[in-house]
Amino acid sequence: MFFNSLAFAIFLPIVFFLYWFVFNKNKSTQNALLIVASYYFYSCWDWRFLFLLVFSTFLDYYTGIQIEKEKSENSRKFWFWLSIIINLGFLGIFKYYNFFATSFADLLNSVGIKASPILLKVILPVGISFYTFHGLSYVIDIYYKRIKAEYNFVDYSLFVSYFPLLVAGPIERATHLLPQVKVKREFDFQTAKEGIYQIIWGLVKKVVIADTCATYANAIFDHYTSMNSFSLILGAIYFAFQIYGDFSGYSDIALGVSKLFGLDLLRNFNYPYFSRDIAEFWRRWHISLSSWFRDYLYIPLGGSKGGLWMKIRNTFIIFLVSGFWHGANWTYVIWGLINAVYFLPLLLSNSNRNNMDVFQLKFDFDSFKVLVSILYTFALTCIAWVFFRAKSITDAILYLKRIVINRDFGFQYLDNERYSYELLLLIAVFVVVEWFSRNKTEPISGKRSLLKAALAIAAIMAIGTYSDYKEFIYFQF
Amino acid sequence: MKKFLIYIAKIIAITFLIAIALDGLYTYIFLQSQNRGKIETVVNSTAQKYDVVILGSSRANNHFVAPMFEEKGLKTFNYGMSGGHLFEASLMLKLMVERKYVIKNIILEADLNLSNDRESEGVAAKFLPYIHNSEVIKNHFETHDNFNELYYIPYYRYVKYDSKIGFREVYKVVRKETTNTLDNLGYYPLQKHKNGNMKNNIVNLNPLPHNKYYEEIKSICKANNINFIAIMTPMCENVVGMNYFDKVKKAYPEIHNCENVVVEDKYFSSCGHMTDEGAKLFTARILKDFFKK
Repeated sequence: MFFNSLAFAIFLPIVFFLYWFVFNKNKSTQNALLIVASYYFYSCWDWRFLFLLVFSTFLDYYTGIQIEKEKSENSRKFWFWLSIIINLGFLGIFKYYNFFATSFADLLNSVGIKASPILLKVILPVGISFYTFHGLSYVIDIYYKRIKAEYNFVDYSLFVSYFPLLVAGPIERATHLLPQVKVKREFDFQTAKEGIYQIIWGLVKKVVIADTCATYANAIFDHYTSMNSFSLILGAIYFAFQIYGDFSGYSDIALGVSKLFGLDLLRNFNYPYFSRDIAEFWRRWHISLSSWFRDYLYIPLGGSKGGLWMKIRNTFIIFLVSGFWHGANWTYVIWGLINAVYFLPLLLSNSNRNNMDVFQLKFDFDSFKVLVSILYTFALTCIAWVFFRAKSITDAILYLKRIVINRDFGFQYLDNERYSYELLLLIAVFVVVEWFSRNKTEPISGKRSLLKAALAIAAIMAIGTYSDYKEFIYFQF
Repeated sequence: MKKFLIYIAKIIAITFLIAIALDGLYTYIFLQSQNRGKIETVVNSTAQKYDVVILGSSRANNHFVAPMFEEKGLKTFNYGMSGGHLFEASLMLKLMVERKYVIKNIILEADLNLSNDRESEGVAAKFLPYIHNSEVIKNHFETHDNFNELYYIPYYRYVKYDSKIGFREVYKVVRKETTNTLDNLGYYPLQKHKNGNMKNNIVNLNPLPHNKYYEEIKSICKANNINFIAIMTPMCENVVGMNYFDKVKKAYPEIHNCENVVVEDKYFSSCGHMTDEGAKLFTARILKDFFKK
């Protein structure tokens, strides 16, 4: 069941009605309903993986309590590592086993030792990377005594399996979401209205921007050997907007849906393509994952303590792991590596925290510099996205090489029976709308919100892409 | 909560009004559509007179050279549609009858398409803008799985088939952009392709014993005194399961097996589609066999 499906359009009002009109006695009934709804939502993909979700939930719930109860450090460590190993073990088996087995066999074959890998015939449980990271952050926080263990299994289960964030985040923290599920939620009109706006804008991003860009990006990436320089540049730009619209659209819908139930989720995107440098980009893109890696990997590794070398080493580690988190493919690892390389000049010049302020554009040279740095950062991210999108590293390199050597900047007719340049106007309008809304959560709220909502709905209906239906990209992670 | 429910009702009402407005606008635009495709042309046409009308899939569209019929003094149009099934061919004929076309002969390409009686989504979608303006179209789609949604939910059909009848197509109609589907009296000539696929496996294909839409076309012709000529058209040399054509002949003895009129691969663009040269040889034979004066 996808957020942009008819099934979800039926599911959501039913759960909303039951939540506020039938199960609104206290927080326990509210939570119980949301868990049943979440498990139903998850089982719509594959009910068999529900057992994995329940097991993962129970494991972290139980080990969390044991870590807190145990007095001796060795016992605490035992429960802590048990949880970490089993969680990462599941992730490893389902997501990475076949990749490692194939890569190892390839390595042996390349040195003349014949090897054929034993592969597992398993499908990746949807959302496993997300709910595993939920559980991990919870157990790590208890181990380091940042939070208390949750003794109410229902409340804890809801924290892990709450349906708006279950399959593609945002990756919540126990410190943020658990206190909210511990109290009865009261309906708030303004919050719910904001939620509706966020859902509408998320749908615009998904069906108008992402899915439309996808038809062009696919036509270009899948036939890159016959594309000219201009089409290849456009292909990278279209993919940049596809993945942004897809993932931030999903996050917007998740946050909006959650607001309808009175629960506030972590913001995941903050207009990342308006970033002035790559460090700012990573403070605005997939914020819940970036901050997760910062808090649970970068800082435990020593963070920026220990001098410049340690800072560089740790930065490279988190970007490589982040790339690998996205999927079992070397293209993601290289994508992470490229981002780490982009970071390097900022680290060396100690300017990675330069652009923390909010900028205002005026008619002066500083504003011009800001615009140039935004375009430059966007160009860098587009180059990195080529590796993220390409089927292999070789394809990505050949794609980029062809941009440079082809030097034909004419319009091309694509495999999707459209001209390569046709989407530029739509993207330009989208960028302008987002630019003027960059200090808000979404562009609809504020003055004349109903009119803006009507325009957004009209855009979804009139210029959305439906027959070339696309799943959300991040579901595969 | 009351305030929110009123607010949601407003959003739903706005959505519904937008759907009605867009539905009306798109339908109005499609009703003005000319020269975009064969379906729009027939729907928006008035009574015509034809000596020969050709129906079928791309194997009709690419195989019957309509201008050669004209040279013989036969007013002809090739209404074969690439990707189309008999579902659409039957509906096309019904629309022609509804518009009081006077047709002397129908040539129906009836071979591989006898194996199913489903609609071809991409082609069938092009009839949907007119579902409220034509009883024939409405009745034809009545057995369709999604008929209720398509007919009663405003704008649903334009969303479901947006790649065929959505915003882009509407924009092209408004700009009066033409296509080449109506050139050459509907016949679309193919060229020889260096990499054309010259193999086909139809071993698992079986003609339906009573194809609903084939029978429908036959009975419409009978009811309207139209001479009905059903023809199997050629395939390339390397086909596995050529006894399919014998199975067709057995189930439908009235269908003329012209599959072997053109056999050499040099006359084919791909295994199921002849080149212009092959189509001309084939059409010459059809004219000789069926329209000798």
